[in-house]
Amino acid sequence: MASVLSEFSLEGKSALVVGAETPVGIAASTALAEAGARVMMASQDVGAEKQLKDAAKKIATNGAKIVVRVQRAAIRADLSATADLALKELGGLDILVNALDSPAYGPADQTDDSVFDRVIEDNLKTVWMSCQEGARVMLQRRGGTIVNITSILAHRGVPNASLYCAAKAGVLNLTRALALEWARRSIRVNAIEAGWLDSPSSPAVSQNEFAQNLLKYLPDNKLVSPNELCGALLYLVSSASGFVTGESIAVDGALLCRI
Amino acid sequence: MILDNFKLEGKIALITGAGRGLGRAMAVKFAEVGADIVAASRTRSQLEETAEAVGKTGRKCLIVPTDVTRSDQVNAMAEAALKEFGRIDILVNNAGGGDESASKRIDQITDNEWRRGLDTNLTSQFYAARAVAPAMVKQNRGKIINVASGFGLRGGRDNYMYACSKGGVIQLTRSLALTYAKNNVQTNCIVPGVFPHDERAMEFYKGGKFIPLGRTGTDAELAPLAVFLASDASNHINGELVIIDGGGLAGGIAPTGVLPELTSKSAAEA
Repeated sequence: MASVLSEFSLEGKSALVVGAETPVGIAASTALAEAGARVMMASQDVGAEKQLKDAAKKIATNGAKIVVRVQRAAIRADLSATADLALKELGGLDILVNALDSPAYGPADQTDDSVFDRVIEDNLKTVWMSCQEGARVMLQRRGGTIVNITSILAHRGVPNASLYCAAKAGVLNLTRALALEWARRSIRVNAIEAGWLDSPSSPAVSQNEFAQNLLKYLPDNKLVSPNELCGALLYLVSSASGFVTGESIAVDGALLCRI
Repeated sequence: MILDNFKLEGKIALITGAGRGLGRAMAVKFAEVGADIVAASRTRSQLEETAEAVGKTGRKCLIVPTDVTRSDQVNAMAEAALKEFGRIDILVNNAGGGDESASKRIDQITDNEWRRGLDTNLTSQFYAARAVAPAMVKQNRGKIINVASGFGLRGGRDNYMYACSKGGVIQLTRSLALTYAKNNVQTNCIVPGVFPHDERAMEFYKGGKFIPLGRTGTDAELAPLAVFLASDASNHINGELVIIDGGGLAGGIAPTGVLPELTSKSAAEA
């Protein structure tokens, strides 16, 4: 493959996907494996083990090496062990994708502090810890690339989603700051902002009034499928984007242009 | 195979400013993954060199000498491409650049410098989009890639024409994206940071020591981004700016290379 295509190839690379049980996590794991990477699918959701194993089996039919791991300890200890295990099982850790996502919608005046803690922990703190633990391993080696999946909610407000919006914006600026901190230490950190996703957990897919109005409002009248994030993902994790760090690519069908 | 999504097999790509530098690099990389090229710029001899480089990949290259500031010539460029290939799948608005006005005080910049700069960097991209959009709508498929600059997002001292024209390119991108979203035509924008093309520029930017990654970029690094945005791998990305600047715009509110530290009770101790 003596063309520019080889720059997008992940042949010989090792990739850890945290939040691998989410629709984007499964799409990302599949894409990374198809592009040639050895992949560890990790989840903080103990109940997701069977789902992950089924997904891994499907991906592995192409001959890809896939390892599944679900949470065994408290989050910090678990993410730390996961990063070490990825290095051991895959023989390296070149790519970390944080696909964690825990949508949360509800009116602010009826939200108590425990919800704040949970939404911020699931959507922001876990990404922070995963970046720290992944980078710890990468810094001991030859560096790597990190991609955090966030949302276009990072840029604009949506009613009934204040904490979720805040967490997603947190992930975006966390990405920028870590990119600057590790720029001279061979770790690139970038993000992908998903538009309104066509996935079961999205408020955009049910038959309610919001979903129907939203579809009409979208510039191309289409929701974003998780697979459609994977072009940007392969660009950002591969050597094709060697001069890109602290950047975020929105996959939203021009929605941010309309606002 | 997922990497096939990045191929441009059988696509027709019209690239302005294709006689040298980034334009030529994109023409060659596009051809490497299967596209036929229509190369436009003012100077025929430079286009011939691009055509020779494209020819080595086995793809076709039609050269169309064009002054992109002249709408009649830009229209003729699109017509020549359509006559030769029957369609245009990809338009890359790459022609443009800085000029001597960027080092002058505001009261010394002439009307002509201002207008000529805007014509070259902004109006040219509008002309080309206007000439090509109807064909893309008819095909119900198309990709427009506009090349802007970090100066389209940030201000520059003594820098009016360049910053304004590149800022205009970003807004042109967004309006094209919204307008043609339903026609399956995606318009996106490459926002390069520092890509010096000669030693003088390299010296001016001190080899990129003020860039977070610690170096400047090269045209060979920009080309894969253009391939990505021209390919099916970016089909739901529309109206987006992709900044390729070694981390410059991710920060910029503090000098590069020195870390802020709290003298008492730092985050690490707290």
